[in-house]
Amino acid sequence: MKKDLTYNEAFDKLQEILEQLEQGDIPLDKLSTKVKQANEFIAICENKLRNIQAEIKESINTAVTRQTKKK
Amino acid sequence: MELFPTEHIKLSELLEQIEDTIKNRFDSEFYWVSARTVNVKKYESNRRCYLSLEEVNNGTKTAEIRAVFWANYYHEIEQFENLTKQAFKDGTEIICKVKVRYHKVYGLNLDIIQLDVAHTLGLFELERQKTLDRLLKENPNTIQLYDGVYKTFNNRLPIPRIITKIALITAPNSDGQRDFQQELKQNKHGYTFSVSEYLTTIQGDTASTLIIEQLEHIEKNKDHFDVVAIVRGGGSLTDFKPFDDYELAKYVAGFPVPIFTGIGHDRNQSIVDLMAREQKTPTKVASTFVEQNFTFENNLIELKRNLFELVQEQLVNAKENLDHAKRIVRLSSPQTILNRGFAIITCGNKIIVDPGTINEKDELKTLLRDETIHSIVTKKTKNEKGFDI
Repeated sequence: MKKDLTYNEAFDKLQEILEQLEQGDIPLDKLSTKVKQANEFIAICENKLRNIQAEIKESINTAVTRQTKKK
Repeated sequence: MELFPTEHIKLSELLEQIEDTIKNRFDSEFYWVSARTVNVKKYESNRRCYLSLEEVNNGTKTAEIRAVFWANYYHEIEQFENLTKQAFKDGTEIICKVKVRYHKVYGLNLDIIQLDVAHTLGLFELERQKTLDRLLKENPNTIQLYDGVYKTFNNRLPIPRIITKIALITAPNSDGQRDFQQELKQNKHGYTFSVSEYLTTIQGDTASTLIIEQLEHIEKNKDHFDVVAIVRGGGSLTDFKPFDDYELAKYVAGFPVPIFTGIGHDRNQSIVDLMAREQKTPTKVASTFVEQNFTFENNLIELKRNLFELVQEQLVNAKENLDHAKRIVRLSSPQTILNRGFAIITCGNKIIVDPGTINEKDELKTLLRDETIHSIVTKKTKNEKGFDI
């Protein structure tokens, strides 16, 4: 599986599998593989989300520090 | 013919007769006269004002007489200056109540005992209105009147979001200069300002020309300034006329950097005030600049808060979506299916999805959660219609 997917790409692929699961489109013998793939996409998304959160926190803190120093 | 007088009288005797005649004729009389003031000399210490009253028709002087305000009528001048915000000086058109007095030494005089301030105010207003009309007529591109409000090129210029570079026009060592600088320096937010002072006289007949000269200097460096402040200390000084000057008002109206005026005048607006942005006092002009910066900082803080909230919201949504996905995936996994008591049937290691592929005597494995059941197919039947798990 491609590891350098963006959050949106990974989430779109996850969404695709979810729709198949919800509609019962996946044959039982492929179910295990699909669930595994879905879990991998979930892991990618969670990882990306954590990084994005950390980056945002960092940039807000930097802005606050700059402003404080200015004063 | 008589060549030499046989008798004579003293000069004082003659003048006494003149004095008596004038006294008899005018002693109980008061007159309201209209005239123009010249040679005005005010002596504030002993509260006297000597002047001449004159009348000029088509450029020719047709009458002139000396006049005086004695100490008990000096307050008329003060009242005049307070109400008109103009100095009582040469060239003022007045209507005044006078008494005729003749003195053997000092000659003929008019004692002024009252001034018709309303008349002078009316004249000033007339003159002011003429100037405003002329400004509108001759400068349609830079000055317009909407609903009684003068909109000029200058007072419609956007004010910079942050004000730091200020050109200050004021009189040296004046209250206005001090108040303005003090308000900026002591601002509670700790903002710093760079103020370039353009010092000049801002009272008297030449003031408007001198202010224009300073504005010309500023215009040459217009890119170095966010705003211009014209301030004058409040208090007793009365000469408001330079700020009603046509040329100055016109220059202000078309000036390329926003001008704020604080010329210490609570009651009336000068024409320059109308052409620029009026803040009444030097302190108020300075505090407006401080407030402008404070507003900007507040907006920035608000924007940052909004940004943070929006980002947080988006992150929370993303997390909820992922949690939802995780639930569906978990519910769909084969292990969950087995945990619920369902079974998976395989034949030759392949999951059976289509029972049509199974024949009698085939060996099947039935996978349950904890065990696998091995079996051989002995019989196959179709489910009846309405079969319900």
